[in-house]
Amino acid sequence: MPSKPPIISLKSVHKYFGTYHALRNINLDVEEGQKIVVCGPSGSGKSTMIRCVNGLEQHDEGDITVNGHMMTTDEKTGNLIRQEVGMVFQSFNLFPHMKVIENLMMAQRMVRKKTKAEARDTGMKLLERVGISAQADKFPGQLSGGQQQRVAIARALCMNPKVMLFDEPTSALDPEMISEVLEVMTELAREGMTMICVTHEMGFARSVADRIVFMDEGEIVEAGEPETFFANPEHNRTRKFLDQIISH
Amino acid sequence: MTFDGSLIIDSLPRLMDGLWITLRLYVLALTCGTTLAIALVLMRISSKKYLSWPVMGYIYFFRGTPILVQLFIIYYGLPQLEFIRTGPLWTFFREPFFCAWFALTLNVAAYTAEIFRGGILGVNSGLVEASKALGMTYTQTFRKVTAPIAFKLSLPAYSNEMISVLKATALASTVTIFDVTGVARKIVAETFAPYEIFLSAAIIYLVLAWVIQNGVRHLERRISRYAN
Amino acid sequence: MQEIINWSDEFLAGAMVIIQLFFVSLLMVIVWGLLGATAKLSNSRIARGIANGFTVLCRGIPEFLLLLIVYFGSAVTLTNIARSWDPEIRFMDIPPFWAGAFAISLVIGAYATETFRGAFLGIDKGLVEAAKALGLTRFQVFWRLRLPMMWRLALPGFGNHLLSLLKDTALVSVIGVQGILFTAQQATTVNHKPFTMYLTVAFIFLALSTVIVVTMKCIEKYAYRHLEAAR
Ligand SMILES: Nc1ncnc2c1ncn2[C@@H]1O[C@H](COP(=O)(O)OP(=O)(O)OP(=O)(O)O)[C@@H](O)[C@H]1O
Ligand SMILES: [Mg+2]
Repeated sequence: MPSKPPIISLKSVHKYFGTYHALRNINLDVEEGQKIVVCGPSGSGKSTMIRCVNGLEQHDEGDITVNGHMMTTDEKTGNLIRQEVGMVFQSFNLFPHMKVIENLMMAQRMVRKKTKAEARDTGMKLLERVGISAQADKFPGQLSGGQQQRVAIARALCMNPKVMLFDEPTSALDPEMISEVLEVMTELAREGMTMICVTHEMGFARSVADRIVFMDEGEIVEAGEPETFFANPEHNRTRKFLDQIISH
Repeated sequence: MTFDGSLIIDSLPRLMDGLWITLRLYVLALTCGTTLAIALVLMRISSKKYLSWPVMGYIYFFRGTPILVQLFIIYYGLPQLEFIRTGPLWTFFREPFFCAWFALTLNVAAYTAEIFRGGILGVNSGLVEASKALGMTYTQTFRKVTAPIAFKLSLPAYSNEMISVLKATALASTVTIFDVTGVARKIVAETFAPYEIFLSAAIIYLVLAWVIQNGVRHLERRISRYAN
Repeated sequence: MQEIINWSDEFLAGAMVIIQLFFVSLLMVIVWGLLGATAKLSNSRIARGIANGFTVLCRGIPEFLLLLIVYFGSAVTLTNIARSWDPEIRFMDIPPFWAGAFAISLVIGAYATETFRGAFLGIDKGLVEAAKALGLTRFQVFWRLRLPMMWRLALPGFGNHLLSLLKDTALVSVIGVQGILFTAQQATTVNHKPFTMYLTVAFIFLALSTVIVVTMKCIEKYAYRHLEAAR
């Protein structure tokens, strides 16, 4: 069956920080609409991998293709790719000097060259979608962590991205706020968004992921569908990691 | 010792003339110096060495030497150079006011560039990444995210610099300018009543410093509407 | 170049003068700073009031004007007193070196007051309580614990004050102290090379500033040596 090419593809990707080998021969294809959950111990290179996907880090060897564009060291290509890829960070990173709605409007105006009215319109719709349209005129510092992270998701969605990257979006949150963010992400997944999520929320992974990728020491140790991944992981390292997470 | 109050009253009009010169010198040096500082800091943070190194040297020189010496180099020293004395620049450099303004401006620029750099370095790198991740270019990110936040972070240090510049204007009196201090020195030379006159001058500076500080505090409160 | 060599002895002597001036005022700065900070943190309203007045005045008035006030003010007072004995006396002053050192120390002392105050406030309260619990007297706690801890916290700010102090020593040429700027003024009247002379002064100051910066780096490294291993 002739299938469409994957929307994200990493081929033999290596990345070094100085002499430290942070990514070792990473191969990963993501089809349009697929949801990938990435997990692994701290320092295993999860953040580094997804940051390479939108060029926040530059890889040293191998090819990364996103939406038909090959990632190069050229700022322009990186910029072109980032316009199609949304990213949500662990620490929200909302612009503290702009109101919530201005956070959502800025890139639409500067990058997409939308008019103020259009940008505000899109922004308000997305705030409604993540359930915080009432906070549009507040400053980020006045919101709770969960609300801030939902604003961050809405801000990324404003650019109408083809792919969303999440880097541990709930690990800076108080426990009672985790679910409100996961709900938004689940909803987004159901609507068919292509997603790569670094997260240790295994409930979310089980219900949403098409594939779970386990990384350790810069390598993808194993990848598989949630059922097989959780039921009988192939590798010892995976088993150990899962034991730790679940006993937690 | 007697304290002659009428002397103060008599000197007030002349001190006010001096105040006008002090204020002109101050505002011109501060605004021009700050503008220059913006250009300098952009060069200073550039990754291109031919832009950042000269600025580093410039800042090092101006922060490592007394303003009085810089002023003497410009006012008394430059005429030694043939091309200054005979060139078109001489129209400017023979004017003490211009020299004082020039020295102060270069000084303000050096200190303020360093202050702004501190502010830029203080901006959370996550915010810059977030802006980049939205597809914003480096320039757009700098204008919309880095600069406004850096400006706010720089304000406390910048307000100190504003006071320092005010105090530095007093040095202009050493190159025959009759600013507040210059006028005061002249009256003291005539009357030999240093307490009355110098203290009146001191009060003028204190009031100015107070006004500046309150102005900045007001501005700070206005742009700190948002938390952190 | 020849002009500089001709005057090198005088420049050296001038440099010695400003270095002496620097160290003399430095001692006074430390005294003012410690007194000021202690007063600001004391329970006495009068002490706090005096210290606040001191810092507001000495930080708000131009250094240059303060120097003129100290020097000419003291000279007028001295002359008046002297005349009441001997009406023939025309002028008497405090040696300009000491008037200069005193005036500069007031300015930098006011800044040091704020730095020391902040540093005293930055000391971990638990440590002080622990020391008291061990039975140390108040004096011992201050001398053995608070003071060394405060120093460490004050170092970066104090380094900047040292640079300002050095640069302020240029001012005293106006009241006739024979520092390097004075030397350059003298030389200029003879050789008519003001640019060369004043630029020389600038580079001597730059060299001395560099010495201060490097010294402060070393001292900071020494002060924080207990953290090295932990890094
Ligand atoms: N900018 C950098 N410079 C040097 N080393 C880095 C840099 N960024 C990451 N590293 C190193 O690369 C390794 C992988 O880091 P990465 O952040 O990708 O791990 P992670 O899997 O996301 O871990 P965590 O769960 O803690 O977020 C770590 O050992 C880290 O110390
Ligand atoms: Mg990470």
